[in-house]
Amino acid sequence: MTPRPPHVALERVSKVFTRKPDFAERIAISLGWPEPPIVRAVDGVSLAVDHGEALGLVGESGCGKSTLGRIVAGVHAKSGGRFEFEGREEADWSTAEAKRARLDIQMIFQDPMSSLNPRKRIADIIGEAPVVHGLVQARDREDAVAALMREVGLDPDYARRFPHQFSGGQRQRIGIARALAVQPKFLVCDEAVAALDVSIQAQVLNLFMDLRERRGLTYLFISHDLGVIEHLTDRVAIMYLGRIVEVGPTREIFAGPAHPYTQALLEEAPRIGRGRRVYAPLKGELPSPLAPPPGCRFHTRCPYVMPVCKIEAPELKQIAAGRIAACHLNDK
Amino acid sequence: MSALLEVEGLKTHFFTRAGVVKAVDGVSFSLAEGEVLGLVGESGSGKTVANFSILGLVDPPGRVVEGSIRFRGEDLVGAPISRMRKLRGRDIAMIFQDPMMTLTPVLRIETQMVETVLAHEKVSAKAARDRAIDVLARVGIPSPAERIRAYPHQFSGGMRQRVAIAIALLHKPALILADEPTTALDVTIQGQIIAEMQKLVAETGAAMIWVSHDLAVVETIADKIAVMYAGRIVEYGRSGDVIGQPAHPYARGLLDSIPSRTTPGQHLNQIPGMAPSVLHLPPGCAFQPRCRFADAACAVPPPIVDTGEDRWARCVRPLAPEAAL
Repeated sequence: MTPRPPHVALERVSKVFTRKPDFAERIAISLGWPEPPIVRAVDGVSLAVDHGEALGLVGESGCGKSTLGRIVAGVHAKSGGRFEFEGREEADWSTAEAKRARLDIQMIFQDPMSSLNPRKRIADIIGEAPVVHGLVQARDREDAVAALMREVGLDPDYARRFPHQFSGGQRQRIGIARALAVQPKFLVCDEAVAALDVSIQAQVLNLFMDLRERRGLTYLFISHDLGVIEHLTDRVAIMYLGRIVEVGPTREIFAGPAHPYTQALLEEAPRIGRGRRVYAPLKGELPSPLAPPPGCRFHTRCPYVMPVCKIEAPELKQIAAGRIAACHLNDK
Repeated sequence: MSALLEVEGLKTHFFTRAGVVKAVDGVSFSLAEGEVLGLVGESGSGKTVANFSILGLVDPPGRVVEGSIRFRGEDLVGAPISRMRKLRGRDIAMIFQDPMMTLTPVLRIETQMVETVLAHEKVSAKAARDRAIDVLARVGIPSPAERIRAYPHQFSGGMRQRVAIAIALLHKPALILADEPTTALDVTIQGQIIAEMQKLVAETGAAMIWVSHDLAVVETIADKIAVMYAGRIVEYGRSGDVIGQPAHPYARGLLDSIPSRTTPGQHLNQIPGMAPSVLHLPPGCAFQPRCRFADAACAVPPPIVDTGEDRWARCVRPLAPEAAL
């Protein structure tokens, strides 16, 4: 038997954001002015997520983690590289395959208020997509909506209400029910609990764990909160300025991070129970993604920087079973 | 140590069309010189309104209806605006979550900082500028003499927060009120700002109230912690005591909700339900509908119970300390 291909595999995927020059700028460019800058939000990322796996994606703002999540969910088109769904490249998809892949991967957003239509009732928000896609008969819609609401911990009696009549935690549950309505197998959660209060966040995290068990879901869990990532994921990938710097099993990385950036992240994240301590933070700022530094992108802030780091970008290399990291320190 | 700030029975209510919102409903605490108090709570618990009340920043329809706020013995409740203006920025400084609340986008940092110095002191513009540059250097802004000429939008988020902190420090305040100053920042930048604040508080001897929803951040910087729920402090004590052995069921529930305290993959010990609307608080203990220890005794307003040295909880039956927490 051939091994089952990963649920989703990315190979050297990149995403470039450009701005079309306006009329005046086109004249300026023709007279020798520089073209408008481009942003490489995601720069040659390779990553595979297996069936039933929970993969965490960690990084600071502007590192491209949300863009990568949106590429996986089909919200953004990639600029380059390969995107495989169950072993089939995106370019080779038939119409039926494309539909299946797109329905199979659903996304849950950070801010439920801006991702739920304020003028629609909950029953329509949750029930529209499965009917359109023929997964649910129109006459069964009400029952399907009620079942989904119960599954995410909402009272089905509220189906006629509008999003603004719910609290933040409940709205996030509505977003989850909407994603589940088309029976996906893969959820991309982009900072799905970041906007919630701690006690509500715990409730939603528990829901994510229940759903995973009940529906056998695969997760791509994007977060800047290392506590959430440690709790929920099997493997974790760390991004810095559009590139992945380290991937490995969550427990191993939290016990012994290999990349200096991962080390700094883990060191500086305030975690409960450590008591009062003196911080020795990482120096410097995040460089702008408009002009990332040459060589290793972390070299401007790295405490172990060597001359080679400023010239040559380190490749992702295997450092232990199931663990890869991109750092010149590992070459020695 | 004498008390620098004494808040007694503070009640700040908002008189809205829907009814009276008791955002802060009987808050008492005191703060010694040089002490750092972490004011923790979820959204709507009243922590920010409590902080704003101290500086007299509560706008209508809200007002302080009861209680006293004594700063060096002087009651700030009902103090004339002219007096508050003298205190604000000089003796009591505030750092907001969003530094753009402190900075105006249309003026250079230099103009804003010099203005702040001159508002309280008669010094030459040159001396004011020198002091501004000096303070910018202290909060870790590289080449401050040039950067002071910049506008706020030319700084990154973390750098802007440093500028806001620098402005707060211009007059060596005795009390700094910080309202979620690191919440909007990235992890590595948050680490830098916390480190900076730790250093500055130690150097200047200023007392501070650090408002945050993040217990882990508060733990790193505070001497004492006050946990707020529905407008009241439900638990108060030394930072290590409250985090290590919470006595109030809500404080305990908050700590249990933090993922890194539970074995990965295990169910979190969540608090059921959600925070009550401050318009319709349940009678008796406000936390009672969500509390797994609640019974008939909780139907009356809970007393303040001493739970150890310099700590108390607002609960009929505070939790006994647990060895293995």
